[in-house]
Amino acid sequence: MDRRTIWINFILRKPDPMTFKAFILALALSFGVPWLLIIVVPYGKMRNLEAVHFEMDSDGRDEVYVPRRSGRITTGSAVYGANGCYVCHTQLIRASYAGSELGRPDWAGFRIKDENGVTINTARETTPYDYVGESFAHVGIMRVGPDLSNVAGRIRGYLEDPLTKADTPENWLYLHLYNSSLKTRTFNNVTGCPSQAHLFEERVVRGQGSPEAVPGISKEGVEILPTGDARALVSYLLSLRKDDAVPYSINYSREKKKAE
Amino acid sequence: MGSDSDSQTKLHDDMELRARIDRSLRHPVMFFFASGAAWLAVALILGFISSYQSHDTRFLSGVGFLNYGRVYPAHLNVLIYGWGCQAAFGLIVWLMARLSRKECTCPGVILTAGHIWNFGVLAGMLGILWGYGSGKPWMEFPSAIWPLFLVSYFFITVWSFIQFRCSEPGKTYVAQWYLLAALFWFPWVYLTAHLFVFVFNGHPVMAAGVNAWFKYALIFLFFTPVALGTSYYLAPKVTGRPVYSYPLALFGFWALAIIGPWAGMQKLAGGPLPQFMPYVGAAATVLILIPALAVGVNILMTLRGHESQVVASPSLRFTIAGIASFLILGLVGMGLNTPAALKMTQFSLTGYGFEILAIYGFFSMCAFGGIYFIVPRVTRREWLSRRFIGWHFWLTIYGIATVVVCSIMGGLFHGAAQEAYNSAWQDAAKISYAYTVGTTVAWGFILFGSLFFLLHLLLMWARLGRRSQHPTLLQGEHHGESPHGPEDDLDKLHTAEA
Repeated sequence: MDRRTIWINFILRKPDPMTFKAFILALALSFGVPWLLIIVVPYGKMRNLEAVHFEMDSDGRDEVYVPRRSGRITTGSAVYGANGCYVCHTQLIRASYAGSELGRPDWAGFRIKDENGVTINTARETTPYDYVGESFAHVGIMRVGPDLSNVAGRIRGYLEDPLTKADTPENWLYLHLYNSSLKTRTFNNVTGCPSQAHLFEERVVRGQGSPEAVPGISKEGVEILPTGDARALVSYLLSLRKDDAVPYSINYSREKKKAE
Repeated sequence: MGSDSDSQTKLHDDMELRARIDRSLRHPVMFFFASGAAWLAVALILGFISSYQSHDTRFLSGVGFLNYGRVYPAHLNVLIYGWGCQAAFGLIVWLMARLSRKECTCPGVILTAGHIWNFGVLAGMLGILWGYGSGKPWMEFPSAIWPLFLVSYFFITVWSFIQFRCSEPGKTYVAQWYLLAALFWFPWVYLTAHLFVFVFNGHPVMAAGVNAWFKYALIFLFFTPVALGTSYYLAPKVTGRPVYSYPLALFGFWALAIIGPWAGMQKLAGGPLPQFMPYVGAAATVLILIPALAVGVNILMTLRGHESQVVASPSLRFTIAGIASFLILGLVGMGLNTPAALKMTQFSLTGYGFEILAIYGFFSMCAFGGIYFIVPRVTRREWLSRRFIGWHFWLTIYGIATVVVCSIMGGLFHGAAQEAYNSAWQDAAKISYAYTVGTTVAWGFILFGSLFFLLHLLLMWARLGRRSQHPTLLQGEHHGESPHGPEDDLDKLHTAEA
């Protein structure tokens, strides 16, 4: 038989019944290869990321980059997950080839003035170090509400709203969680964040009232106190910010500049 | 004459064997189907509530445990583990026993493991609603539940594997490839995902990546093969002709096996992990159209020329709807995962539409087809009411179509508005309002249809079905020719012998 006939026979014949061993082996191979290549090996590699350095010639200083983050991150992240915040809020600033949120004002960073009075844009995409302290990155399912990668930074702007009843970032978030229409921002509550009143407890006011009560909620003789879960969650949310300087090598901002 | 009576005896032995298999599995199979249908009703109620809350946040807002952020995960997890997995177990257990021609020797163990599984679903659902959810999509059940699921999975399905290995060597059916593959993939996928997310101490982004992969692996490597195995059993069985093309079936199977495991990580496109991973996932989801076309053509060609049976048989109607959904799933997967579309679909409502299309439009429809075929055999009673079946079918079809179209269309507008970074964010937040209202209404219809299904199934389990030798058909008279072949006529045979 010439080669052509062999191929035609190979293609047209009814395949031989596979043996059980060959079947399982083929399944193990077809599953095992992607399993190794997109799960096991990348997981192992990302487990021990090399430290990133600020370099003298691009950053103007020579030291190891330590992501700055403080707050009750472990507990707060668990409360965030248990209450399903990730269903409506994402925490991912995609690179510009994958999405355009780098362009949204205050989502990925700020326009700030540097020491020479020049406006710089700190907006940058998410780095692997932004989730430091968490065991699971709450990337999120849908963007029904805004992305929270930089929420702590945005709240500073919200506090400047003359109508707001909140005086501190914590109180702004407590108001948002207790009832998002109370903070006097322009959202219509019908499409806003659902009330998380179960994270608060009501108590009859005694004397001058508790200094920890959430201000701006007018209920006769009753004050609203955040529970431990609410405190942890707010502490966690206030750790989500994108304003620390990252080394030049992992800064993908379009307006990044080398240090002179 | 001698050979005639020989074949008569053979036929008789054959029927006896099938009846014995059905009897040995009656309680496990009915338990999985009935409890699955009950969980389906719960999942649909939760789906209705969460969908209603997505356009009116004041709905039930005073009730802490019915908060949107808890109801939505509870809805999906109960749908997957309460209904999807249990329906799949019922199908696997019965189909493997029948195809391997082996009686089940330990229905008690399966039943016990099934009860443990149900306990896990109940505990997991209450855990989510009471604020102990883990916060990882599709793995929201508190982390104590997953080892329990894995152990009970082992005791439910290991017998099917043994039955296959002990069956007489000879022809292996296409349905058996798919079911064996599902048996093989599920523990590997499930264990990998949960070890890497809950046990190992890795990078948070990679944990999220494994979680995103798990969703698609569960769809393509567990629900898909079980649904396709069921369809590859029903289509030839009910029409009484062999599968249209064996090589095409082989091609479709291995195409799924090779493409399926890569899908899923596109959820993290543009995120801080190696760039090839999300885009390989997107490419694999695009390529799912290949197995979808292979299977779709094969099943539809098997059914060609049997249109009257497709119309009359509840099993075939649901199967055809499921296979059509698989084709649509392939097409939609292709459209939504190109790099340009992925920008808009990554964080919009479309993901939900895609998941519901896969789990409900495709898997559940095929599973309903299997259930309408299997239950009369294991209970030895026929379905009571063709109206119930008809209502279930039409309410589900229209409901699912509405949910999927609203979520995918609304999601595309939603995604496009998200991408318009110069417009105010509230524009994007409000644009999907009308579509979420549509989804809510549709869940209501689906819930209504499923209640008929649940009621009908419970009546059948109570053995209140029709005592008849003719199956309940959606069209034609009850005393018409059976489309299911002669195996229903065991009673007639006994009568004739007496």
